[in-house]
Amino acid sequence: MFTTPRLIVIALGAALNCSIGTIVYLLKLPVFLDSIGTILVALLLAPDRLAAFMCSWAAGWIGLAVSGLINPFLPWFAVTDVAISAIAALLVVGAAKTFRDRALNSPPFIGQVLLCGIMIGIVSAVVSVPVVVYLFGGVTGSGSALVVAVFLKAGQHLMSAAMLSGLASDPPDKVLQVLIAALLYRATPGEFIAMLRTKEPEPAR
Amino acid sequence: MTPNGAFTLGFVLIALGMGVPGPRGVAVLVALTLAFALIEVRGASVIALKRAAVVVLPLAVFMGVVWVGIVGESPYQIASESAGTRAAALAYVATLCGRLFFIVAVVQLVFLRFAKLTPMQIIRALALPATVKRVLVITLSLIGTLRHAVDRAHIALIAAGTLTRAPSWRNVLHSWRLVQAVWLSAVTIMVGRMRDKWPVENTIARLDDTLANDNPAWFAGDDRIWLPISLGAAVVILVADRIGEAL
Repeated sequence: MFTTPRLIVIALGAALNCSIGTIVYLLKLPVFLDSIGTILVALLLAPDRLAAFMCSWAAGWIGLAVSGLINPFLPWFAVTDVAISAIAALLVVGAAKTFRDRALNSPPFIGQVLLCGIMIGIVSAVVSVPVVVYLFGGVTGSGSALVVAVFLKAGQHLMSAAMLSGLASDPPDKVLQVLIAALLYRATPGEFIAMLRTKEPEPAR
Repeated sequence: MTPNGAFTLGFVLIALGMGVPGPRGVAVLVALTLAFALIEVRGASVIALKRAAVVVLPLAVFMGVVWVGIVGESPYQIASESAGTRAAALAYVATLCGRLFFIVAVVQLVFLRFAKLTPMQIIRALALPATVKRVLVITLSLIGTLRHAVDRAHIALIAAGTLTRAPSWRNVLHSWRLVQAVWLSAVTIMVGRMRDKWPVENTIARLDDTLANDNPAWFAGDDRIWLPISLGAAVVILVADRIGEAL
Protein backbone atom coordinates (compact mmCIF):
# COMPACT_ATOMS: atom_id res chain seq x y z
CA MET A 1 0.00 0.00 0.00
CA PHE A 2 2.56 2.62 1.12
CA THR A 3 5.29 2.35 -1.52
CA THR A 4 8.04 4.98 -1.64
CA PRO A 5 6.40 6.99 -4.47
CA ARG A 6 3.13 6.95 -2.50
CA LEU A 7 4.90 8.14 0.66
CA ILE A 8 6.35 10.97 -1.42
CA VAL A 9 2.95 11.91 -2.81
CA ILE A 10 1.56 11.90 0.75
CA ALA A 11 4.32 14.27 1.83
CA LEU A 12 3.75 16.49 -1.23
CA GLY A 13 0.01 16.58 -0.56
CA ALA A 14 0.60 17.47 3.09
CA ALA A 15 3.02 20.23 2.09
CA LEU A 16 0.48 21.61 -0.40
CA ASN A 17 -2.28 21.61 2.25
CA CYS A 18 -0.02 23.39 4.72
CA SER A 19 1.42 26.03 2.42
CA ILE A 20 -1.77 27.20 0.70
CA GLY A 21 -4.00 26.65 3.76
CA THR A 22 -1.69 28.65 6.02
CA ILE A 23 -1.45 31.59 3.58
CA VAL A 24 -5.27 31.73 3.31
CA TYR A 25 -5.67 31.45 7.11
CA LEU A 26 -3.21 34.28 7.75
CA LEU A 27 -4.97 36.48 5.16
CA LYS A 28 -8.36 35.72 6.84
CA LEU A 29 -10.08 35.04 3.53
CA PRO A 30 -13.60 33.54 3.82
CA VAL A 31 -12.35 30.29 2.22
CA PHE A 32 -10.06 27.53 3.52
CA LEU A 33 -8.14 26.02 0.54
CA ASP A 34 -6.51 23.61 2.99
CA SER A 35 -7.48 20.31 1.34
CA ILE A 36 -6.11 20.76 -2.19
CA GLY A 37 -3.31 18.28 -1.43
CA THR A 38 -5.79 15.76 0.03
CA ILE A 39 -7.96 15.86 -3.12
CA LEU A 40 -4.94 15.82 -5.44
CA VAL A 41 -3.48 12.73 -3.72
CA ALA A 42 -6.78 10.89 -4.28
CA LEU A 43 -6.76 11.91 -7.95
CA LEU A 44 -3.17 10.78 -8.46
CA LEU A 45 -3.96 7.33 -7.06
CA ALA A 46 -7.04 6.77 -9.26
CA PRO A 47 -8.50 4.23 -9.96
CA ASP A 48 -7.40 2.43 -6.75
CA ARG A 49 -10.03 3.82 -4.34
CA LEU A 50 -8.64 2.16 -1.19
CA ALA A 51 -5.12 3.50 -1.83
CA ALA A 52 -6.63 6.89 -2.71
CA PHE A 53 -8.54 6.99 0.60
CA MET A 54 -5.64 5.80 2.78
CA CYS A 55 -3.03 8.06 1.18
CA SER A 56 -5.21 11.17 1.02
CA TRP A 57 -6.22 10.60 4.65
CA ALA A 58 -2.55 10.33 5.63
CA ALA A 59 -1.71 13.49 3.65
CA GLY A 60 -4.61 15.31 5.32
CA TRP A 61 -3.58 14.36 8.84
CA ILE A 62 0.12 15.09 8.36
CA GLY A 63 -0.90 18.45 6.91
CA LEU A 64 -3.11 19.08 9.96
CA ALA A 65 -0.31 18.20 12.36
CA VAL A 66 2.13 20.58 10.69
CA SER A 67 -0.40 23.39 10.09
CA GLY A 68 -1.51 23.05 13.71
CA LEU A 69 1.72 24.75 14.74
CA ILE A 70 0.41 27.96 13.11
CA ASN A 71 -3.36 27.44 13.24
CA PRO A 72 -4.29 25.84 16.59
CA PHE A 73 -7.94 25.39 15.47
CA LEU A 74 -7.08 23.08 12.61
CA PRO A 75 -6.18 19.75 14.34
CA TRP A 76 -9.69 19.63 15.87
CA PHE A 77 -11.13 19.24 12.38
CA ALA A 78 -9.35 15.91 11.84
CA VAL A 79 -12.66 14.09 11.29
CA THR A 80 -13.56 16.54 8.52
CA ASP A 81 -10.37 15.52 6.74
CA VAL A 82 -11.37 11.85 6.98
CA ALA A 83 -14.73 12.74 5.41
CA ILE A 84 -13.06 14.74 2.63
CA SER A 85 -10.69 11.81 1.93
CA ALA A 86 -13.63 9.39 1.79
CA ILE A 87 -15.66 11.54 -0.62
CA ALA A 88 -12.55 12.21 -2.71
CA ALA A 89 -11.89 8.46 -2.95
CA LEU A 90 -15.52 7.67 -3.78
CA LEU A 91 -16.37 10.55 -6.08
CA VAL A 92 -13.31 12.50 -7.28
CA VAL A 93 -11.39 9.34 -8.22
CA GLY A 94 -14.20 8.53 -10.66
CA ALA A 95 -13.69 11.88 -12.35
CA ALA A 96 -9.91 11.43 -12.77
CA LYS A 97 -10.14 10.44 -16.45
CA THR A 98 -12.33 13.45 -17.26
CA PHE A 99 -9.99 15.80 -15.40
CA ARG A 100 -6.98 14.42 -17.27
CA ASP A 101 -8.32 14.06 -20.81
CA ARG A 102 -11.14 16.56 -21.37
CA ALA A 103 -10.70 20.24 -22.26
CA LEU A 104 -11.01 22.72 -19.40
CA ASN A 105 -14.09 24.37 -20.89
CA SER A 106 -15.87 21.14 -21.81
CA PRO A 107 -19.21 20.50 -20.04
CA PRO A 108 -18.07 17.14 -18.49
CA PHE A 109 -15.00 18.81 -16.93
CA ILE A 110 -16.97 21.75 -15.55
CA GLY A 111 -19.81 19.46 -14.42
CA GLN A 112 -17.50 17.07 -12.57
CA VAL A 113 -15.65 19.93 -10.85
CA LEU A 114 -18.96 21.41 -9.67
CA LEU A 115 -20.44 18.06 -8.61
CA CYS A 116 -17.35 16.90 -6.69
CA GLY A 117 -16.78 20.32 -5.11
CA ILE A 118 -20.38 20.77 -3.98
CA MET A 119 -20.59 17.23 -2.56
CA ILE A 120 -17.31 17.58 -0.65
CA GLY A 121 -18.42 21.02 0.53
CA ILE A 122 -21.77 19.83 1.88
CA VAL A 123 -20.24 16.81 3.65
CA SER A 124 -17.39 18.81 5.19
CA ALA A 125 -19.81 21.54 6.34
CA VAL A 126 -22.08 19.00 8.05
CA VAL A 127 -19.15 17.17 9.69
CA SER A 128 -17.47 20.42 10.84
CA VAL A 129 -20.50 22.07 12.45
CA PRO A 130 -20.47 20.05 15.73
CA VAL A 131 -16.77 20.92 16.21
CA VAL A 132 -17.40 24.61 15.48
CA VAL A 133 -20.40 24.78 17.83
CA TYR A 134 -19.62 22.45 20.72
CA LEU A 135 -15.83 22.84 20.92
CA PHE A 136 -15.46 26.53 20.04
CA GLY A 137 -18.97 27.94 20.56
CA GLY A 138 -19.06 29.07 16.92
CA VAL A 139 -15.90 31.13 17.37
CA THR A 140 -13.05 30.13 15.04
CA GLY A 141 -10.09 32.05 13.70
CA SER A 142 -10.80 31.63 9.98
CA GLY A 143 -12.44 34.18 7.72
CA SER A 144 -15.67 32.13 7.75
CA ALA A 145 -16.19 33.31 11.37
CA LEU A 146 -17.32 36.58 9.77
CA VAL A 147 -20.08 34.67 7.95
CA VAL A 148 -21.18 33.05 11.26
CA ALA A 149 -21.25 36.53 12.80
CA VAL A 150 -23.42 37.85 9.97
CA PHE A 151 -25.95 35.00 10.36
CA LEU A 152 -26.05 35.50 14.14
CA LYS A 153 -26.72 39.21 13.69
CA ALA A 154 -29.50 38.25 11.29
CA GLY A 155 -31.21 36.43 14.17
CA GLN A 156 -30.14 32.82 13.54
CA HIS A 157 -29.40 30.40 16.40
CA LEU A 158 -25.78 29.37 16.93
CA MET A 159 -26.20 25.87 15.46
CA SER A 160 -28.09 27.07 12.40
CA ALA A 161 -25.72 30.03 11.96
CA ALA A 162 -22.71 27.68 11.97
CA MET A 163 -24.51 25.28 9.60
CA LEU A 164 -25.61 28.05 7.21
CA SER A 165 -22.11 29.55 7.33
CA GLY A 166 -20.65 26.15 6.48
CA LEU A 167 -23.13 25.55 3.67
CA ALA A 168 -22.54 29.05 2.31
CA SER A 169 -18.75 29.01 2.38
CA ASP A 170 -17.78 25.32 2.08
CA PRO A 171 -19.22 24.35 -1.35
CA PRO A 172 -17.68 27.34 -3.25
CA ASP A 173 -14.42 26.76 -1.39
CA LYS A 174 -14.38 23.05 -2.24
CA VAL A 175 -15.31 23.69 -5.90
CA LEU A 176 -12.25 25.97 -6.07
CA GLN A 177 -10.12 23.31 -4.36
CA VAL A 178 -11.28 20.55 -6.75
CA LEU A 179 -10.57 22.87 -9.71
CA ILE A 180 -7.02 23.63 -8.50
CA ALA A 181 -6.42 19.93 -7.75
CA ALA A 182 -7.67 19.02 -11.23
CA LEU A 183 -5.37 21.62 -12.83
CA LEU A 184 -2.39 20.26 -10.90
CA TYR A 185 -3.40 16.70 -11.81
CA ARG A 186 -3.46 17.60 -15.51
CA ALA A 187 0.03 19.10 -15.18
CA THR A 188 1.54 16.08 -13.39
CA PRO A 189 3.91 14.05 -15.59
CA GLY A 190 2.58 10.64 -16.63
CA GLU A 191 5.83 9.04 -15.46
CA PHE A 192 5.11 10.07 -11.87
CA ILE A 193 1.54 8.75 -12.01
CA ALA A 194 2.83 5.44 -13.44
CA MET A 195 5.30 5.20 -10.51
CA LEU A 196 2.40 5.58 -8.07
CA ARG A 197 0.49 2.71 -9.65
CA THR A 198 3.27 0.12 -9.81
CA LYS A 199 4.41 -2.13 -7.00
CA GLU A 200 7.77 -1.30 -5.51
CA PRO A 201 10.60 -3.88 -5.52
CA GLU A 202 12.14 -4.61 -2.12
CA PRO A 203 15.19 -2.36 -1.55
CA ALA A 204 18.58 -4.09 -1.67
CA ARG A 205 20.25 -4.52 1.72
CA MET B 1 12.84 12.05 29.35
CA THR B 2 12.24 10.41 25.95
CA PRO B 3 10.39 12.04 23.01
CA ASN B 4 7.68 9.37 23.46
CA GLY B 5 7.19 10.44 27.08
CA ALA B 6 7.19 14.15 26.25
CA PHE B 7 4.70 13.77 23.38
CA THR B 8 2.41 11.62 25.55
CA LEU B 9 2.57 14.17 28.37
CA GLY B 10 1.83 16.97 25.87
CA PHE B 11 -1.16 15.02 24.55
CA VAL B 12 -2.53 14.50 28.08
CA LEU B 13 -2.09 18.19 28.94
CA ILE B 14 -3.83 19.35 25.75
CA ALA B 15 -6.68 16.85 26.20
CA LEU B 16 -7.20 18.10 29.77
CA GLY B 17 -7.05 21.72 28.57
CA MET B 18 -9.76 21.05 25.97
CA GLY B 19 -11.90 19.35 28.63
CA VAL B 20 -12.93 22.80 29.93
CA PRO B 21 -11.92 22.27 33.59
CA GLY B 22 -13.21 24.57 36.34
CA PRO B 23 -11.04 27.00 38.32
CA ARG B 24 -9.49 24.30 40.55
CA GLY B 25 -8.81 22.07 37.56
CA VAL B 26 -7.20 24.94 35.68
CA ALA B 27 -4.96 25.66 38.69
CA VAL B 28 -3.77 22.03 38.81
CA LEU B 29 -3.27 21.96 35.02
CA VAL B 30 -1.25 25.19 34.97
CA ALA B 31 0.82 24.01 37.96
CA LEU B 32 1.65 20.73 36.20
CA THR B 33 2.56 22.52 32.95
CA LEU B 34 4.72 25.04 34.82
CA ALA B 35 6.50 22.19 36.62
CA PHE B 36 7.23 20.53 33.26
CA ALA B 37 8.45 23.84 31.82
CA LEU B 38 10.70 24.70 34.76
CA ILE B 39 12.16 21.23 35.33
CA GLU B 40 12.46 19.87 31.79
CA VAL B 41 12.59 22.88 29.46
CA ARG B 42 14.03 25.55 31.81
CA GLY B 43 15.17 28.82 30.12
CA ALA B 44 13.76 27.87 26.73
CA SER B 45 10.26 28.06 28.25
CA VAL B 46 10.34 31.82 27.59
CA ILE B 47 10.82 31.09 23.88
CA ALA B 48 7.80 28.76 23.97
CA LEU B 49 5.66 31.49 25.57
CA LYS B 50 6.83 34.08 23.02
CA ARG B 51 6.04 31.76 20.10
CA ALA B 52 2.61 30.98 21.54
CA ALA B 53 1.95 34.73 21.88
CA VAL B 54 3.01 35.32 18.25
CA VAL B 55 0.55 32.64 17.07
CA VAL B 56 -2.41 33.56 19.28
CA LEU B 57 -2.18 37.39 19.39
CA PRO B 58 -3.30 38.04 15.77
CA LEU B 59 -6.03 35.46 16.29
CA ALA B 60 -7.19 37.24 19.45
CA VAL B 61 -7.33 40.58 17.61
CA PHE B 62 -9.36 39.05 14.76
CA MET B 63 -11.79 37.27 17.09
CA GLY B 64 -12.09 40.42 19.19
CA VAL B 65 -13.06 42.45 16.12
CA VAL B 66 -15.63 39.85 14.99
CA TRP B 67 -17.23 38.90 18.31
CA VAL B 68 -16.80 41.96 20.51
CA GLY B 69 -16.95 44.52 17.70
CA ILE B 70 -19.46 43.09 15.21
CA VAL B 71 -21.59 40.53 17.09
CA GLY B 72 -21.36 42.23 20.51
CA GLU B 73 -22.51 39.21 22.55
CA SER B 74 -21.16 35.82 23.52
CA PRO B 75 -22.29 32.64 21.70
CA TYR B 76 -23.91 31.32 24.90
CA GLN B 77 -25.98 34.46 25.31
CA ILE B 78 -27.12 34.09 21.72
CA ALA B 79 -27.94 30.42 22.29
CA SER B 80 -29.96 31.18 25.45
CA GLU B 81 -31.61 34.21 23.78
CA SER B 82 -30.66 36.37 26.77
CA ALA B 83 -29.56 40.01 26.50
CA GLY B 84 -26.02 40.08 25.16
CA THR B 85 -23.15 42.26 26.35
CA ARG B 86 -19.78 43.10 24.83
CA ALA B 87 -18.14 42.29 28.18
CA ALA B 88 -19.46 38.71 27.98
CA ALA B 89 -18.25 38.45 24.39
CA LEU B 90 -14.82 39.71 25.45
CA ALA B 91 -14.73 37.19 28.31
CA TYR B 92 -15.61 34.36 25.92
CA VAL B 93 -12.94 35.38 23.38
CA ALA B 94 -10.37 35.75 26.18
CA THR B 95 -11.19 32.27 27.55
CA LEU B 96 -10.92 30.70 24.11
CA CYS B 97 -7.66 32.51 23.34
CA GLY B 98 -6.28 31.47 26.73
CA ARG B 99 -7.05 27.85 25.92
CA LEU B 100 -5.43 28.14 22.47
CA PHE B 101 -2.40 29.88 24.00
CA PHE B 102 -2.07 26.98 26.43
CA ILE B 103 -2.23 24.41 23.59
CA VAL B 104 0.37 26.19 21.45
CA ALA B 105 2.63 26.73 24.46
CA VAL B 106 2.48 23.02 25.40
CA VAL B 107 3.35 21.98 21.82
CA GLN B 108 6.28 24.41 21.79
CA LEU B 109 7.48 23.23 25.23
CA VAL B 110 7.49 19.61 24.06
CA PHE B 111 9.51 20.46 20.94
CA LEU B 112 11.90 22.77 22.84
CA ARG B 113 12.55 20.00 25.37
CA PHE B 114 14.50 18.33 22.52
CA ALA B 115 15.97 21.47 20.98
CA LYS B 116 19.44 19.90 21.03
CA LEU B 117 18.33 16.91 18.96
CA THR B 118 18.02 17.05 15.18
CA PRO B 119 14.56 16.28 13.72
CA MET B 120 16.02 12.98 12.46
CA GLN B 121 17.10 12.02 15.99
CA ILE B 122 13.66 12.86 17.41
CA ILE B 123 11.91 10.79 14.73
CA ARG B 124 14.33 7.92 15.34
CA ALA B 125 13.54 7.93 19.06
CA LEU B 126 9.76 7.90 18.56
CA ALA B 127 7.94 4.57 18.94
CA LEU B 128 6.28 4.68 15.53
CA PRO B 129 6.01 2.18 12.66
CA ALA B 130 8.88 2.35 10.15
CA THR B 131 6.53 3.61 7.40
CA VAL B 132 5.36 6.55 9.51
CA LYS B 133 8.96 7.44 10.37
CA ARG B 134 9.88 7.25 6.70
CA VAL B 135 7.05 9.56 5.61
CA LEU B 136 7.94 12.05 8.37
CA VAL B 137 11.57 12.19 7.23
CA ILE B 138 10.53 12.52 3.57
CA THR B 139 8.11 15.34 4.52
CA LEU B 140 10.88 17.20 6.33
CA SER B 141 13.25 16.64 3.42
CA LEU B 142 10.57 17.94 1.03
CA ILE B 143 10.32 21.25 2.87
CA GLY B 144 13.81 22.14 1.66
CA THR B 145 13.02 20.86 -1.84
CA LEU B 146 9.84 22.95 -1.96
CA ARG B 147 11.71 26.09 -0.89
CA HIS B 148 14.09 25.62 -3.82
CA ALA B 149 11.17 24.87 -6.12
CA VAL B 150 9.39 28.08 -5.05
CA ASP B 151 12.55 30.17 -5.67
CA ARG B 152 13.13 28.58 -9.05
CA ALA B 153 9.51 28.85 -10.26
CA HIS B 154 9.15 32.42 -8.96
CA ILE B 155 12.29 33.62 -10.77
CA ALA B 156 11.34 31.77 -13.95
CA LEU B 157 7.86 33.33 -14.01
CA ILE B 158 9.32 36.81 -13.38
CA ALA B 159 11.80 36.26 -16.22
CA ALA B 160 8.95 35.16 -18.48
CA GLY B 161 7.02 38.34 -17.65
CA THR B 162 4.15 36.40 -16.04
CA LEU B 163 4.77 37.72 -12.51
CA THR B 164 6.30 40.94 -11.19
CA ARG B 165 8.73 41.46 -8.33
CA ALA B 166 6.54 44.12 -6.66
CA PRO B 167 3.02 43.34 -5.42
CA SER B 168 0.55 43.65 -8.31
CA TRP B 169 -2.80 42.45 -9.61
CA ARG B 170 -0.88 40.49 -12.23
CA ASN B 171 0.62 38.44 -9.38
CA VAL B 172 -2.85 37.77 -7.93
CA LEU B 173 -4.19 36.79 -11.36
CA HIS B 174 -1.31 34.43 -12.17
CA SER B 175 -0.62 33.05 -8.68
CA TRP B 176 -2.11 29.69 -9.68
CA ARG B 177 0.61 29.42 -12.36
CA LEU B 178 3.18 29.75 -9.58
CA VAL B 179 1.45 26.95 -7.63
CA GLN B 180 1.44 24.80 -10.77
CA ALA B 181 5.10 25.55 -11.55
CA VAL B 182 6.14 24.77 -7.95
CA TRP B 183 4.19 21.50 -8.05
CA LEU B 184 5.76 20.50 -11.37
CA SER B 185 9.24 21.44 -10.19
CA ALA B 186 8.84 19.43 -6.94
CA VAL B 187 7.38 16.42 -8.76
CA THR B 188 10.13 16.32 -11.38
CA ILE B 189 12.82 16.63 -8.68
CA MET B 190 11.27 13.72 -6.77
CA VAL B 191 10.90 11.62 -9.93
CA GLY B 192 14.60 12.16 -10.64
CA ARG B 193 15.52 11.12 -7.11
CA MET B 194 13.33 8.00 -7.13
CA ARG B 195 14.35 6.89 -10.62
CA ASP B 196 18.09 7.69 -10.61
CA LYS B 197 19.56 8.92 -7.36
CA TRP B 198 18.02 6.79 -4.62
CA PRO B 199 18.46 3.35 -6.28
CA VAL B 200 22.15 4.07 -6.94
CA GLU B 201 22.74 5.28 -3.38
CA ASN B 202 20.39 2.68 -1.83
CA THR B 203 18.89 5.59 0.10
CA ILE B 204 15.66 4.00 1.32
CA ALA B 205 17.31 0.91 2.84
CA ARG B 206 19.94 3.10 4.50
CA LEU B 207 17.22 5.45 5.78
CA ASP B 208 15.31 2.54 7.33
CA ASP B 209 18.49 1.33 9.02
CA THR B 210 19.16 4.81 10.38
CA LEU B 211 15.61 5.20 11.68
CA ALA B 212 15.48 1.77 13.33
CA ASN B 213 15.38 2.35 17.09
CA ASP B 214 17.56 -0.12 18.98
CA ASN B 215 15.81 0.65 22.27
CA PRO B 216 12.45 -1.19 22.24
CA ALA B 217 11.13 0.45 25.46
CA TRP B 218 8.48 3.09 24.75
CA PHE B 219 9.08 4.99 27.95
CA ALA B 220 12.25 5.28 30.00
CA GLY B 221 14.00 7.48 32.59
CA ASP B 222 11.96 10.45 33.78
CA ASP B 223 8.95 9.32 31.72
CA ARG B 224 8.24 6.92 34.57
CA ILE B 225 7.86 9.89 36.91
CA TRP B 226 6.08 12.38 34.64
CA LEU B 227 3.47 10.06 33.17
CA PRO B 228 2.08 8.72 36.49
CA ILE B 229 2.08 12.30 37.83
CA SER B 230 0.17 13.54 34.77
CA LEU B 231 -2.36 10.72 35.00
CA GLY B 232 -2.82 11.42 38.73
CA ALA B 233 -3.24 15.12 37.95
CA ALA B 234 -5.80 14.23 35.28
CA VAL B 235 -7.92 12.42 37.89
CA VAL B 236 -7.57 15.36 40.28
CA ILE B 237 -8.54 17.84 37.52
CA LEU B 238 -11.57 15.77 36.57
CA VAL B 239 -12.89 15.46 40.14
CA ALA B 240 -11.58 18.66 41.82
CA ASP B 241 -14.34 20.98 40.68
CA ARG B 242 -17.10 18.40 41.16
CA ILE B 243 -16.02 17.89 44.79
CA GLY B 244 -15.80 21.68 45.18
CA GLU B 245 -19.36 22.08 43.87
CA ALA B 246 -20.64 19.29 46.10
CA LEU B 247 -19.12 20.96 49.18
